Amino acid sequence: MDRRRFFGLTATSALAYGVLGSSGASAQGAATQAIEAAKQYAGTTLNVLYEAGLQPLDPKNFTGPLWEELTGIKINVIESPVDQMFTKTMQAHMANSGAYDVLNVIPNQLPDLALAGALEPLDGFVEKYAYGDELDAIAPVYRDNQMKVEGTIYGLPDDGDVLIMYYRRDLFDDPENKAAFMDQHGYELAPPTTWEQFSQIGQFFTDKYAPDIYGAGMLRAPGNAQYLFQERFRVEGGKFFDDETMRATVNSQIGVDIFNAMIAENDFMPPGVEQWGFIEAFNAFLAGDIAMTISWPPVGRWAAGYGKGTEALNWIPETTVADTIGYALPPGGHPELAVGFSLAVASGSQNKEAAYLFAQWMNSEEISLQRVQLPYALRDPFRTSHFESEEYRNRWPTAGEYLDTLKAGAETGLIDLSLIQTDRYEEGIRQALSRLWGGDDPQAILDDLAAQWDELTDRIGMEKQKRVYLDWSSKPNAYPT
Amino acid sequence: MHAKSSALADNATVLRYALVAPAVFIILMIGLYPFVKLAATSVQDITMFGADRSFQGFKHYARLMEDDRLWEAIWHTTVFTAIALPIELILGYLLALLFLHPLPFRRTLIAIILLPTVISPIVAGATWRLMLDQRFGPINQMIGWIVGGEVEILWTINPTFVWPAVLAAEVWQWTPFMFLILLAALSNVDTEQLEAAEIDGAGPWTVFRKILLPAILPVVVIAVLIRGLDLVRVFDVIWTMTQGGPGTRTETISIYAYQMAFREFEVSYSSAIAFFVIVLLTVIVIAALRRVELAR
Amino acid sequence: MKPWSTGWRLALRFGLAVVIAVMFLFPIYWLAAISLKSPEEIFAYPPVWLPEKPNFSSYITLFRDGDAWAVWNSLVTAGISTVLAMIFGTLAAYAIVRYRTGGDHLAIWIISQRMIPPICVAFPIFLLYVLLGLIDTYTGLIALYTAFNLPYVIWMMRGYIQDIPVDLEQSAMVDGLSRLAVIRKVVLPMVKGGFFATAVFTFIFAWNDFLFALILTRSEVVTYPVQVTGYFGSQSTFWSKIGAMSMLGVLPMMIVVGTMQRFIVRGMSMGAVKG
Repeated sequence: MDRRRFFGLTATSALAYGVLGSSGASAQGAATQAIEAAKQYAGTTLNVLYEAGLQPLDPKNFTGPLWEELTGIKINVIESPVDQMFTKTMQAHMANSGAYDVLNVIPNQLPDLALAGALEPLDGFVEKYAYGDELDAIAPVYRDNQMKVEGTIYGLPDDGDVLIMYYRRDLFDDPENKAAFMDQHGYELAPPTTWEQFSQIGQFFTDKYAPDIYGAGMLRAPGNAQYLFQERFRVEGGKFFDDETMRATVNSQIGVDIFNAMIAENDFMPPGVEQWGFIEAFNAFLAGDIAMTISWPPVGRWAAGYGKGTEALNWIPETTVADTIGYALPPGGHPELAVGFSLAVASGSQNKEAAYLFAQWMNSEEISLQRVQLPYALRDPFRTSHFESEEYRNRWPTAGEYLDTLKAGAETGLIDLSLIQTDRYEEGIRQALSRLWGGDDPQAILDDLAAQWDELTDRIGMEKQKRVYLDWSSKPNAYPT
Repeated sequence: MHAKSSALADNATVLRYALVAPAVFIILMIGLYPFVKLAATSVQDITMFGADRSFQGFKHYARLMEDDRLWEAIWHTTVFTAIALPIELILGYLLALLFLHPLPFRRTLIAIILLPTVISPIVAGATWRLMLDQRFGPINQMIGWIVGGEVEILWTINPTFVWPAVLAAEVWQWTPFMFLILLAALSNVDTEQLEAAEIDGAGPWTVFRKILLPAILPVVVIAVLIRGLDLVRVFDVIWTMTQGGPGTRTETISIYAYQMAFREFEVSYSSAIAFFVIVLLTVIVIAALRRVELAR
Repeated sequence: MKPWSTGWRLALRFGLAVVIAVMFLFPIYWLAAISLKSPEEIFAYPPVWLPEKPNFSSYITLFRDGDAWAVWNSLVTAGISTVLAMIFGTLAAYAIVRYRTGGDHLAIWIISQRMIPPICVAFPIFLLYVLLGLIDTYTGLIALYTAFNLPYVIWMMRGYIQDIPVDLEQSAMVDGLSRLAVIRKVVLPMVKGGFFATAVFTFIFAWNDFLFALILTRSEVVTYPVQVTGYFGSQSTFWSKIGAMSMLGVLPMMIVVGTMQRFIVRGMSMGAVKG
């Protein structure tokens, strides 16, 4: 990709050198170890698969050039739309084309890719290059849930994706609002801790301010909303499957109640909210059109004005809520750890060792702390040290609260459902939600979904799927405890 | 299939094959392997998790016979084609009539009308979705001006409106194709014949049936065939507008096949679907072609 | 004279034509406007129809970062495959019409290649290309687009060539022209309109292809439709770049259609003599 110019290269390299210099004293970090070991592969090129968009700016402008300077290994970034990454990975594996060395894998697709043989087991490398300690220092929720398939390490958790709540502090702190709300509902106006409160607060703001401001605007497009449904269903006590029979239990009363509640909530959200994905909700929040929203961590940084003026972020509208943004866990207190990324090594790679070393280096304490602070980064804090970094906590006035909320989310969060052919189960939820917005009956939709899941389970093999499900549900953050 | 009079008497044995050889070679080079491969994998058992290349009988074909979602997708595709094709044909014809005779800025206007065909269908779908957005799109806004008040139509979500929305995008993008081909065909119609018929006092319908239709029919048949085949495999526009939703309400054959092949990697089953669809289409199209030939 | 070309009828037709052209143009205008809008204006409510201060930064970024290269890739693959398909397709069509090579069977077999939904064969073709080392190469995409467009070219050209009277060709041969010279000097000029109309759409079909380009490219020969989908991220949507890239894609096509139209329109106004 030499036709692309690495603008800003010198600036970021200088920054990184500064960091390396200052931490040089503590010497034998996993990053240094990786660099030393990787030098023997100088001159080779690693093909790295990344989600197209902002994500690849990190390896293209920052880690890639730096790694090449340090080790002589070239990084060639191959970009792909996010919904094509699984396809590309699997295709390359099935054709045995060896096209990629380092992969970005969405953690709930780890079982599929690992069972298909597309990923290289990493336990041997972790031991050989003494990465164990630093790997352990990854926030437990990511470390324990997004790394292994049936006991074997296949990915290095590399992205603290979590859906937390953002709200407009000015509206919540307004004394007039506080008094009126107390009068009406008999409790303090504050970020909602239950979905019932969420509805009351949302309705309250909409009644008062609409059409200028609505109480909330949420991720409702099925591809995003499915995560909120997965979270809420479990928070309210729902189970996806029966542990014994492996029959789907998603059509329980809990599911129906949630569907009905979601429909009802749309009434106090902006018209057309059913079509909203990440970008629509984000824009509405920046414009000050909604009092509350729930979304991925970049919203919290960008809405606070972090990275403003960075060229890579010039597509983001001016934020009007920088000074009033508040962070909270979503109602129920168990945010969905939606999507995320783990770094993996392709089993078809000709350069597995070098590929692993690059992943370890990127994922290490030292380098990852820099990566999650890149203003344009989509990698969200995922290490205990990220949450506690003084540097990061001073990036903008409320950065400390932001990191505390992410940290709290990383303790109680819930992981995405992950099974064999997980995408088909998710597809079922997506279709169910689009039918819900289309006006179908919630009970009928969920009955169909359950039937669809059962049929799928039977075709895959009930026992086989049950084993994977139980492996998943035994993880600490599969269901709230 | 063609008029006998157009054949040549001289018998250039080498040339007659040499002329078709490159084309046939290229088609075979790209077309043969996938075809054979599809047929083969459809009777094996290859999935994401393993490849059993022994002969498995026709169990995947048996499965697709019972696959309601596939048949629904076939039905959607059929209805979609059956509605979009005539609309594009008729609109294209009317447009061609409008532009058949001298008109100021004729060339510029024709070029403008052709523009939709050069927008990548992926972008076309996304653009229409944005334009049809309840809040950020201009279409509901315009409807609001006409009816005088705010309207709330969730085009890509509401089951009643989702097909019209997809059809609008499709018709917008591909009517120009019909238009240009029909314009070219109509320009070739013998004007003397037309004038003579008018002097004889023939009505517009008679002129159309007796003179225009026979003259443009061969081109129309090909245009309808090509467009029809493209409609049957429609993917991009619907994928970006609705992803097949709500539910599976706008799922077409290609969308379903895409899900099976590229997300679930049910390689054998999706090969069976592909092979079945190809055979089905071939039978239908050849039957249709023969009928058209007989009618001529 | 011709009543539809004069007076109020002409005015009416012209008015109607303009209204229709505007309707076809509107979504493209909307895309163009998006490419020039500020980030706030793209998601403004109510929608903004005219960007207040046109912002060309997306275009600049596309060129500076090399994204615009994708348009070049599209031009190369669509352009070369169109030339190849037109040459081989016209020759084949001529043989099928004049020599009845292969009878009806060949013609029907050829059109049956167009019936194959790309989705259905994309994966086997991917495997084939991995085997041949054609992934992410111009050659791979060009060969594919040529093959997929040949049926269209052959059938369209077959229709146009059928309409040419045989006696014209025969008298030319009597004058001592070779068969190939006849095709070039007699047949081609007579089917010029249809030839260019066919070429325009052959080009467009290749130009718009998304699925094959997505599956068969990685980074070097990414075409414009694939490049555009990269701007729809899970946590970002670069609408302004999407608009700008689409406009970069539209511009060469306007030039192509504009130039080709000269021939198409001239061809039409000449009108082929019916046989």
